Amino acid sequence: MKRREFLKDIAIGSLVLNVHPGLFSQGTPPPDIALIQGESPALITKEALAALGGMQRFISRGDIVVVKPNIGWDRTPEQAACTNPEVVQALVELCFDAGAKEVKVMDNPCNPARRTYVRSGIQKAAKSAGADVPLPNDHRLKKLPLHGDILKEWEVYTDFVEADKIINVPIAKTHSLSRLTLGMKNWLGALGGNRNQLHQDIDHAMIDLAAFFKPVLTVMDGYRILLRNGPQGGRLSDVQLHKTVAAGVDYVALDAVGASFFGIKPEEIRFLQIAKEKGRGEIDLEKMTIEKRTI
Amino acid sequence: MTRFPGGDTISRVEIFLHFDPLLALATIISSRTVYILFLPAVLTIVATFFLGRVACGWVCPMGSIQQFFSFVFKKTKLLRPKKPADNHTLWKYAILIFILVSSLLTLDLVGIFDPFSLLYRSFAISMMPVISYSVSSFIGLIYGLNLLTIGDTLVQFFENLDINAVFLQGLFIGVIFSGIILLNLMRERFWCRYICPLGALLGVVSRWNLLKLKIDTEKCIDCHLCSIQCQMQADPYPIEQWKSSECDYCFTCSAICPTNAISFPGKVAPESIESIDLSRRKVVLTSLLGILAIPFFRISPTRSRASEKLIRPPGALPEEKFLQKCVKCGECMKVCPTNALQPAMTEAGPEGLWTPMLVPEIGYCEYYCSLCTQVCPTGAIKELTIPQKNNLKIGTAWVNKNRCIPWKFGNPCIVCEEHCPVSPKAIKFITVHVEQPDGTIKSAKAPVIDMATCTGCGICENKCPVVDAPAIYVTSVGETRSEKNQVLLDLFQSGEDPY
Repeated sequence: MKRREFLKDIAIGSLVLNVHPGLFSQGTPPPDIALIQGESPALITKEALAALGGMQRFISRGDIVVVKPNIGWDRTPEQAACTNPEVVQALVELCFDAGAKEVKVMDNPCNPARRTYVRSGIQKAAKSAGADVPLPNDHRLKKLPLHGDILKEWEVYTDFVEADKIINVPIAKTHSLSRLTLGMKNWLGALGGNRNQLHQDIDHAMIDLAAFFKPVLTVMDGYRILLRNGPQGGRLSDVQLHKTVAAGVDYVALDAVGASFFGIKPEEIRFLQIAKEKGRGEIDLEKMTIEKRTI
Repeated sequence: MTRFPGGDTISRVEIFLHFDPLLALATIISSRTVYILFLPAVLTIVATFFLGRVACGWVCPMGSIQQFFSFVFKKTKLLRPKKPADNHTLWKYAILIFILVSSLLTLDLVGIFDPFSLLYRSFAISMMPVISYSVSSFIGLIYGLNLLTIGDTLVQFFENLDINAVFLQGLFIGVIFSGIILLNLMRERFWCRYICPLGALLGVVSRWNLLKLKIDTEKCIDCHLCSIQCQMQADPYPIEQWKSSECDYCFTCSAICPTNAISFPGKVAPESIESIDLSRRKVVLTSLLGILAIPFFRISPTRSRASEKLIRPPGALPEEKFLQKCVKCGECMKVCPTNALQPAMTEAGPEGLWTPMLVPEIGYCEYYCSLCTQVCPTGAIKELTIPQKNNLKIGTAWVNKNRCIPWKFGNPCIVCEEHCPVSPKAIKFITVHVEQPDGTIKSAKAPVIDMATCTGCGICENKCPVVDAPAIYVTSVGETRSEKNQVLLDLFQSGEDPY
C-alpha cells in the first residue's frame, strides 16, 4: 500500500468510526446494530441497511467497493458454510444504488475457488447484480505491512487494499478452534501465503486482520447458521434456519451479536474478550443500541 | 480439450479416444469386456477398410503434429530426404503384435504406445503445464510493469483454460514427446512410419481398400521423386513395390510428380497386395517376445502387496482389473480440480507406469467432485454418483504425533479438522498435555482419526501447516476396492460392495 492510500484509508476509517452518524442523516441517529428477521434474505438485508440510514451513509458516488463474503467451501447455500447468495446480491444492488462505480465480490476459498464460487451460488447472484466476481489472482498477492500486534506482515490480495470501501459479509458458524467463525475470522479469506499457520494464534491473528482491513460496514448473515461440524458442515441437520441479518459499523459488536445467535455470551468467546480489552469495539449487548425488527 | 467450468458434470470429453480401434481392441482383449462405448472405433475400421489409412493422413491429431514438424524441418532444410529410406516399417507391426499378445495374457501396455493415449497424456501432463508456466511467468512480467488491466485480462483468459500446472513426471513425459517430434529430423513422420501401432493395425485392415495408386508408365521418367518425397514409406515407385498399407493418402507423390504420371483411381474390384512384409517367423518371434515379457512385468512386489503411496482415484476398480483397463491417457489427471491425480512412476509396478494416483501433497480429492469417474474412457475408473463416491474409502489418514503441532508442542492448530469434509468429521480431538523443554505443561486439542468415517480424501495432508512432510498423511490402506489392503477386521465387512 502506498503511504498516501494508507493515510486516506485512515482518514476514511476514522471519519466513519468517529464522526457522529447524525451528521449524515437527519432526524434520529441510526442504531449501532440493525437486527432484522424475516423470510427473505434479500429483503431483511435491505431492511437492515435502511435501518442504519441507507447504503449512501457508507458508499459514496464513484466508489470502488469490495464486498467480502465467506465463499470458503464447496457447499450449497442450504449447507450454511458460505454466505447466503441473496444477501450478497442485495448488498451489491444497494452499493450500485448508492452510486458505487465498481463492486467486486471475492474471497480466497479453502476448496478450489472455481467450484466454491459456483456451488455457493454467490458468483451467479453477484454477477446478476452487476458485480465483478474475480477468482483470487495470485499475481495480485503482495506482502504488506499489517502493523498488527502479532501479524507484522502477510501476503494480501491487493484488490482489498486498493478498494475505496470494504464491506464484510460473513456467515455465522461454529469453529472448533475459535469456537465461532464470524466477521473478524472472515479476513483470513483475503490472505494468501501459508495462512493455515495462523491457526496457532487464531484469536490474535483475526483481531489484527480486522483492524487492518477496516470494513466500513459489516453485515452478519444469520439466515442459516451452522451449529455443528463447522466451519464447513455437510449435513442439513448441522444447519439451523435463523432468518436473521445483523448489520452495523462496529465489527466487534457485530461478532458479539453473531455469538448471541448461538445463545453464547460474547464474553465467553476468547477473541471477543481480547478485542474488547484492546478497545477495538463493544461486546456488551446491553451497551449497544440495537434496532430489532421482524418483517 | 477437457475443460471444466466449475459444475459437477462434464461433457463426454473422452469420446475422441473411443474412435481409436487399437485402444478398443487391446482393452477388450485384456479385460475380457465388450464395450459399447468403443462403437465409434468401428467407424474408423470401416473407413479404413474401404479407403485405406486415410485417417492417418487426414484425421489423426498425432499424425498432424508429426506432419507439421516434418514440414517445418523440411522448410528449414534440417530434413533433406535424398533417397528412399531403408525399410524399417516392420517395427510398428512388431509393436502391435507385442501389445496384442500381452493383452491376451492380461498385460495391458497399449496406453504406452497408442498415439491417442500418448498425445493426450503428453499434452495434459507436459505440454499444457509448460505453456501454463511460461504464460504465468509472462503475466508476472506484465504485472511487474504495472500493466494491471492487461494482466487481469490475460489471467482471466488462462484461468478459463483450466490447466493443471503441476505434474511429477512433466519432464519425463515431455522428453519422450519431444523426442518423438525430433525423430522427424531423421525421417518424415518417423512415428507414423516406424512406431505407431495404431497405424500398423489400420495398415492390416487397409489391405483390401479401394483407393489404389496408379502410375502412367508412358509418362513416368523414373526420377524416383515420388519415393524420395513420400511422407510415409509407401514406395510408390516402382508401382509393384507400392504398399497400400503404408500409404496415408497425402497425395504428395501425385502433386510432386513432374510429369503428372501418378493418380489414385478408385478401383471397384479390390486387389490384394502382399504389402506387409511380415513373415510367419517374425510374427511368431514377436508373439513369443510378448509372452516372455509378461513375467518381467509381473515380478514386481506391487502385485502381492499394496503400496502405501498408491492411492487410486475413487471408483478405480480393484488393482488387477484396473491395470487391465487403464490406458494411461491422463484424462482423469487433466480434469482433477485440485491437480491431485498424478502419473505413477514405480508405485504401481512396471505395468502401472503413468496410471493415476492421488498425491495429497499436491492436491486432494474434492468431496463433491466425481469428474475423474466421468471422463475415464475405458471404465477403469467406474462412473460414480456423488453419494456413491462419498460412501467409499480411497485410503486412510494417519497422524504423525512426532510432527503434529498440538501433539508435539502443545500449541493449537487443528487445520486438518477444519478442512475434513465429512460430517460428522473423521478427525476428532482429544486434549493433550505436552511437557515443554522447560518442564512446564501446555494443553491443546490434538487430532485423532475416526477410521470408519475417514474417506482418505487427503485434504488434511494437503492443508497441514507442517509443509515438508505433513504431520497428518494418507496411505492407501483401508481402500474399499481392495480386499487385502485393510487394517481393521470389521471395516471391510460392513457396507455393500460398490463393485
